[in-house]
Amino acid sequence: MTSNLDIIVAGGGRVGFQTAEILANRGHDVTIIERDEGIVSEIADEWIATVIQGDATNPDIIEQAGIERADAIAALTGETGLNLAVCLAASELNPGIRTIVRIERAAGTAYTRFVDAVLFPERAGARVAANEIVGSDVQTLADVTGDLDIMLVRVAEGAPAAGKQLTEVRFPAGTLVVSDDDGHRIARPDTTLTPGNRYVVAVEPDVADEVMNLMRG
Amino acid sequence: MGGSQTRAPEAELGLLDATMIGMGAMIGAGIFVLTGLAAEIAGPAAILVFALNGVVTAFTGLSYAELAASIPKSGGGYAFVREIFDDLSSFIMGWMLWFAYMIAGALYALGFAPNFLELLHVYGIVPPPGQVGAVALPVIDAAVPLAFLLAFVAVLGLVALNAVSTAASGSVETIFTIIKVSILVVFVAFGLASPMFSSAEFQPLFPGGSGAAAILPAMGLTFIAFEGYDLITTVTEEVKNPRENIPKAIFLSLIVTVIVYLAVVTVAIATLGADGLADAGEAGIAAAATSFMPTGLPIIQNGGALIVFGAVFSTLTALNAVVIASSRVAFSMGREGQLLPSFGQLHHRYGTPFVAILASAVVMLGSVALPTQSAGNMSSLFFLLSFIIVNVAVIRLRRERPNMNRPYEMPFYPAPPLIGVALNLILAGVLVEYLIRTDPLALVLSAAWILLGGIAYFALNRLRAQPNRGPTDADTEMTPEAED
Repeated sequence: MTSNLDIIVAGGGRVGFQTAEILANRGHDVTIIERDEGIVSEIADEWIATVIQGDATNPDIIEQAGIERADAIAALTGETGLNLAVCLAASELNPGIRTIVRIERAAGTAYTRFVDAVLFPERAGARVAANEIVGSDVQTLADVTGDLDIMLVRVAEGAPAAGKQLTEVRFPAGTLVVSDDDGHRIARPDTTLTPGNRYVVAVEPDVADEVMNLMRG
Repeated sequence: MGGSQTRAPEAELGLLDATMIGMGAMIGAGIFVLTGLAAEIAGPAAILVFALNGVVTAFTGLSYAELAASIPKSGGGYAFVREIFDDLSSFIMGWMLWFAYMIAGALYALGFAPNFLELLHVYGIVPPPGQVGAVALPVIDAAVPLAFLLAFVAVLGLVALNAVSTAASGSVETIFTIIKVSILVVFVAFGLASPMFSSAEFQPLFPGGSGAAAILPAMGLTFIAFEGYDLITTVTEEVKNPRENIPKAIFLSLIVTVIVYLAVVTVAIATLGADGLADAGEAGIAAAATSFMPTGLPIIQNGGALIVFGAVFSTLTALNAVVIASSRVAFSMGREGQLLPSFGQLHHRYGTPFVAILASAVVMLGSVALPTQSAGNMSSLFFLLSFIIVNVAVIRLRRERPNMNRPYEMPFYPAPPLIGVALNLILAGVLVEYLIRTDPLALVLSAAWILLGGIAYFALNRLRAQPNRGPTDADTEMTPEAED
């Protein structure tokens, strides 16, 4: 119905916290499960997510995170086995939930029998590192910019901006719709945001929520 | 993408700003509009009424502080309850809070009208309505439509403003609040110095015959004056270090507000007397000011004009705040799928929650036809009821999520929320009983709103169930592991 999701992130360390922050900026409801008290209080300072302090493999803790209402759970701690256990427990408690596991080694695809998606942060990081080392002045889209998000957004049926031309829509400052309707041209003022089509959009994190509201409803 | 430069960058509000937002809502219109009405019911004991309301509301304030620090959502009370309760309970909470704000809007608009007339009168633009300073309009037929019209226009203007632009940042609110408080400080200072104050009579404390029980319905009526912390928690996202600053802002704003109320009400009763205050009704403070402020000043002519201006300014800014607050509640409900999705969407051209604002406006404009007292009663009743749910939410959250990180934990748990529930229940009960005797229309309208909510809830559920059916069937075909 609504496009904002209820998401549980297990593990509030580097990967978990960054993920939670991006999701919260886009207007999703995030709950973080974190064992370490020190990290818990750091996350609380940022005030982006509800935090449950405890071991994410404990079913009681997963339940406190609101598993029965959640749309997705991402197990993003540094331990592959623990992550897998969290996701298996989660899909036991809520069969419809989308599960994402962070893995340590590239042996990843085998896990997709049990979870919906796997994430190997080191590979993503390595790609960026390789780009940086080569140091070319022109790089492709992924992972480029500091805080900017460059996203592919599908316009939802019934969203406020659906079917409108760009000139008619007041996107917040810090937004740029890059691609045209068919993906072959740069967007023009008369570009129409056709429901069902995907557009390349660059946004600053502060306004991502508003942009999602306009394009996804 | 024209016009996008008009949006302000995300504000970083400090403790002062957050406190001022709360105070701005509480010191705003309530003090100007409700003092006269409280004096009418409770006599000089109106002072007690405001003090006790401050105490009652402090318990709910503790609950708000704990919830706001641990649940990082900027939706106010509704967002907290939504986090823990099932669909129906959170829907009812949102539905009631939405109504409370809309009716508060009507109340402030109705308070704006007589104060505005008083301001015009001070400058001699309109003839003196009755005695000097009083807006007890003698000719019902001619006067009431005028006030009604003014209230209507005020609502319409602010709604239009909010519908087409995202305004009202926290720092503007800080300036507004400082202006309001300064004006009240001037009022109190002149009041204390005036000869009328030294000969003040606070006897009999309670109005003839009714005794101490008279303060209970007056507490119910004026409870709305202390609802400001819900507004603080609607902007939490913009506040620096919220887990410390939000609880602090809630308590600071509450304490300062109670002190200001007590000072102002004491001066008003001492100078004008409870009866005079009651006669002046919504323009009570303004009338008191005109009676003792110096006259013959340059430009503003009459010292009272300053206070009357303060009243006009306060009612307008408070009206603006509740237009935003009410539409935010409806907007959050729309985003959560508890109202039609269009409530939770920004307008593609104006970037504002257009539908939520328009829907709130319809109810507000309709409610402007109510007597001020009914509006106050209904709004207070719905704030009392929704605060009960907030207190229950704290208890339930502690039980169901003991491991949740709580940067602020209230002292002496579980006493404060339990006392909060009990006191709010008592006041709500007294208010309902009072309404049965004096204002059955308000009660009927309140019940009708709840009933309408029930219908809307089930109609929406049915509506949601239908379009969902199609895609769900399609999904099962495509997903291999689906077995049922």
